[in-house]
Amino acid sequence: MGLQGKAAIVGIGETPTDRLGSKAGEPRKSSAEYISWAMRLALEDTGLSLKDFQGQGLGVTVPTAYPQPFWPEEVAEILGITPGLLQGGATGGAGAVSLLGGMAAAINSGLIDLALVCGSAAPFSEHWGGGIQPGDMRDWEIPYGTMGPNSKIAMVMRRYMHEYGATLDHFGKIAVAGRYHASLNPLAYLRKPITVEDYKNSRLVADPVRLLDCVMPANGGRAYILASPERAKTLRKKPIYLKGFGERSNPSYGPRAGSDALVMGVKDAGKVAMEMAGVKHHEINFLQLYDDYIIVVYLQIEDLGFCAKGDVGFYERTDFTFKGQLPIQTGGGMINVGQPSTAGGTLHIIEAVRQLRGEGSERQVPNAKLGLVSGLGVLPYGKNLGCCAVAVLGNEA
Amino acid sequence: MAEADLRKPLPAITNEAKPFWDAAAQNKLIMQRCADCAAWVWTPRPLCNECGSAHVEWTPMSGKGNVYSFTVIRQVVGRAASKAFEPDVPYVVAWIDLEEGPRMISNVVSCPVEDVKLGMKVSVVFEQQSPEIWLPKFRPTAS
Repeated sequence: MGLQGKAAIVGIGETPTDRLGSKAGEPRKSSAEYISWAMRLALEDTGLSLKDFQGQGLGVTVPTAYPQPFWPEEVAEILGITPGLLQGGATGGAGAVSLLGGMAAAINSGLIDLALVCGSAAPFSEHWGGGIQPGDMRDWEIPYGTMGPNSKIAMVMRRYMHEYGATLDHFGKIAVAGRYHASLNPLAYLRKPITVEDYKNSRLVADPVRLLDCVMPANGGRAYILASPERAKTLRKKPIYLKGFGERSNPSYGPRAGSDALVMGVKDAGKVAMEMAGVKHHEINFLQLYDDYIIVVYLQIEDLGFCAKGDVGFYERTDFTFKGQLPIQTGGGMINVGQPSTAGGTLHIIEAVRQLRGEGSERQVPNAKLGLVSGLGVLPYGKNLGCCAVAVLGNEA
Repeated sequence: MAEADLRKPLPAITNEAKPFWDAAAQNKLIMQRCADCAAWVWTPRPLCNECGSAHVEWTPMSGKGNVYSFTVIRQVVGRAASKAFEPDVPYVVAWIDLEEGPRMISNVVSCPVEDVKLGMKVSVVFEQQSPEIWLPKFRPTAS
């Protein structure tokens, strides 16, 4: 049914992240260099070459810091590809997961049998000036002195704590598990293990949001390659199949003018993806959840149905490390590896593929067969995240 | 820093929002409501975004609500224009649930930031920002 087993990820490419350009005179790289580097790594992983992608699919995540509407076409020229299907991932941080669904559908239709999905950003080394803000933000938020997403997530987190009694200890446990995994990931940027006390003592950024709640912006590039199952079998690495996919953009729980801001669109996107995959919660071996903030990881676990809404006891008794009952963020997530703008979300797909191939090295989830990945983007006015995409991946068709 | 950079950013007066700003300049809070399905439409839209009807009507609001959630801005970060908010630090950015249903982002003013609580009852006040723009803000309702 749907896209189950109709496409497989056959290659991944992840550049190291850096923050070059924070200081004057540092050597620096451009978005074009990071995206080219990520593509080369993905090509090497598959054994494919550039010429294999002529007339095929090219998906490019649209970054927020480079206000240029034709970036996907510019990337095609930078990479030297003449695609038969060019799609921009314009669902913010959800772009990489959205494109997984879109490109798998195109492969399933027979339009293409191969797709490269890539993205990059260099927020520290390139400065293009401020973009134009979305209308609601420009007219109804910024005039009140809101300070970007931190202000809005702070309001979600405070309300959540008020309604369900979650404490900094609960959130800290998620932060500690992610950092522990990062300490085992050579590509992570923040690798020094932390304790719940470190989390609780980190600087308040937007009360109650602390520094260790927040994702770390970074320069970098990421890519993956998708193929039809027939094509996948001829390539170098074990194919990792798309088992299920679901997307909900602009979700609203309750009236649009005043919806429940504590429920995320992954509630429905996840249900669709898991039903398509025909899998139950206990069969999922790990979660790679989009992590712009710790509270966002926390809310997704319950909205995806791994525990009841507000069941703080679940967070107390569950081991979220790679050895535990519900491993999450097994490479450390974007919070510790770094977020190159909207290319950030590609990380979760890449880490899921590593785990399902058995390439997780020191942080390998034992007997991993099925994993769930999410992508999220945009914080709209008065609501929780606005673009939510979920994919279930597995190492058997 | 150039003086222009220290002006607070103002909303654009779009076609669909103009009645809102005209009323705000008279210190009146109005919002759109659908005459067909009775849904509140906020922020201003060309059509009802619950049912698609074009029969959206500007409706007076009580101006009363409560604090659904809030944060305290203690540091100005990001876009250069935001520097204009530095003299106001610390200040409260809040989600206000109006008693009719819609949720607004606004500031809670006229009380110490430490006194703001979830569920606190608030009432609208208008602060003039420019000849055309009076921003609706909220202060604690006198009990």
